Amino acid sequence: MATISLRNVRKKYGGFLAVPDLSLEVQHGEFVILVGPSGCGKSTLLRMLAGLESVTGGEIAIDGEVVNDRMPRQRDIAMVFQSYALYPHMTVAQNMGFSLKLDGRSKAEIAERVQEAAEILALDKLLDRKPAQLSGGQRQRVAMGRSIVRDPKVFLFDEPLSNLDAKLRVQMRAEIKSLHNRLKTTIVYVTHDQVEAMTMADRIVVMNAGQIEQVGTPLELYDRPRSRFVAEFLGSPAMNMLPGTLGGEGGATALRMEDGTTVPIPGVGIEAPAGREVVMGVRPENLSLARGGEGVEAVIDVVEPTGSHTLLIGRIGPHAVTCEIAGRVPVASGSRVRLAADPAALHFFDGESGARIEVRPLVAAE
Amino acid sequence: MTLTSAEPLRATSRRGGFARSPAADRLTRFAVIAVTVLALIYILLPVYWMVKSSFQTSFDIRAQPPHWIPREITFQAYKDMGYIIPIWRYILNSIYVSAAAALLATLIGASAAYVLARFRFPLMTLFLVMILATQLIPPITRAFPIYSAIQAAGLLNSYTGIIIAYAGFSLPFSVMLLRGYFMNNCPPDLEEAALVDGCTYFSAFWRIILPISLPGLAAVTIFTFLNAWNDFLWASLLLSQGEMKTVQVGIGDFSAEGGGGRYINLVMAACVTATIPALIMFLFVQRWLVSGLTAGSVK
Repeated sequence: MATISLRNVRKKYGGFLAVPDLSLEVQHGEFVILVGPSGCGKSTLLRMLAGLESVTGGEIAIDGEVVNDRMPRQRDIAMVFQSYALYPHMTVAQNMGFSLKLDGRSKAEIAERVQEAAEILALDKLLDRKPAQLSGGQRQRVAMGRSIVRDPKVFLFDEPLSNLDAKLRVQMRAEIKSLHNRLKTTIVYVTHDQVEAMTMADRIVVMNAGQIEQVGTPLELYDRPRSRFVAEFLGSPAMNMLPGTLGGEGGATALRMEDGTTVPIPGVGIEAPAGREVVMGVRPENLSLARGGEGVEAVIDVVEPTGSHTLLIGRIGPHAVTCEIAGRVPVASGSRVRLAADPAALHFFDGESGARIEVRPLVAAE
Repeated sequence: MTLTSAEPLRATSRRGGFARSPAADRLTRFAVIAVTVLALIYILLPVYWMVKSSFQTSFDIRAQPPHWIPREITFQAYKDMGYIIPIWRYILNSIYVSAAAALLATLIGASAAYVLARFRFPLMTLFLVMILATQLIPPITRAFPIYSAIQAAGLLNSYTGIIIAYAGFSLPFSVMLLRGYFMNNCPPDLEEAALVDGCTYFSAFWRIILPISLPGLAAVTIFTFLNAWNDFLWASLLLSQGEMKTVQVGIGDFSAEGGGGRYINLVMAACVTATIPALIMFLFVQRWLVSGLTAGSVK
């Protein structure tokens, strides 16, 4: 276990500033996931942490020791690569024991630790095989086994599940999480898959354009995204975004869209003046079918029953909207329905900067 | 559904959207076979003549019109060859200089190619252009400068001199071939995994990259070995002293000194014998000339 400190870390490739200025603290035994779209700098950051990329500026410390100038082998880290990066000319056992061999450990110790790791990962019957004789999931396990035999201070995972099929990914997600619960080693994990981030992380770091957008627990980020970027990135289906202008007096009471459609916003006061351009966000599961004249009218283009839920995909005014309703609903494609949302579940973002605008309940005013 | 007519099947087997008649297909096949057979005859005829002549007497070889099929087969040339030409000594010399040059070119070539494949540094493009440019210079124009350099280094008529020369001639090809091999067949993730596992750059190269690059290394080894084995020009310039001659120069000198007339069958037997080590070398190394050594390493 170890702490990790990134202090004002910068990375420049020629004239391109990949990471402008980034600071982050990771605690002992924490499972931190860096998530963001392709090119946001998350893998660069992980590679700098591993020592595979130089640091242009700032400091990286592992367990309090600055490691900027240390080679990867001097950092006491282990890394699982997206491509697995197994040594093709070695058997599973040799792959797993390679680092211990380089470290000068005895054959008996190597065999014992490889066997131990192989049992944890259910690889004990595959130790004599070469990587070419393994399935994708088994190769992924070997890559993890190669890391855990070393008992390093920090595990680094670079999109380790992205080459697996959907079913195996779900299984491996659970295995990695249970491995972390068992070993309690500090993990920094990179992914662009927000579901992986939400389901596995103790804390998520959402990155965009080389900078941290928000750091927090999965539910903090889900419930109170600090920006429109975070709100749209986390959650599947993604949060619905309805841009418009605030209307009403003393705290907004309606959102007027560019085509004149008005969405009533009852029960909340928005800390923004009327007439301000905003984006109202609402998660698909927070929308429901309204009765009578409540809510706002939506045209449903597609109905997708998933068994446990029904997805209604359509439009409110000119903007696409997705509504996720538990169970099954008698709505047909092409029909018009009225959708309403719990006011407490509404999010507002500045129309220009995308920054979150706080809302307050208007209970006292009633 | 089953096909009831050959027509749809033929339609799907068309290439490039042009329908071809069976007669045109047969004609194309015949032309391809004919060209291949002609090429084979062109390549193999001298070899056949050499092998055939080695089992004839000198008198029979010189018969007019020539005997394409020997009237009498004799092994006398092989029995006498060792007494008249120091062929085994020449072959050992050739094996030594060719193998050493191949080893040197492969080691230096692989190291240089790895650096050029993996690292970026100033003037790298200039290096690559210069390496390629060396291939544009006709070998004969290099004869005097190289002879002078080897002489100045005191390596004339020494195995070391010719080994360095042979390795140097093969290096541009070795570097370019192996650079391409490393770039296309050795995922950088493997070295990075090795660095994280505890390797230095050199040990990652030595323990991981070289073992998975055997096909590329084998190609370079064979290329250098055969170039050195078949060379006559440089060996006659740099290593012309009696006992140290390579097999090509040895046989050539024997032939030029009059042996080629009286003992033409011996010369042919020596030539056949001289091809065997190169053939064995090729058969030994060619098993590494297979792709797929990196299977399973990534994805």
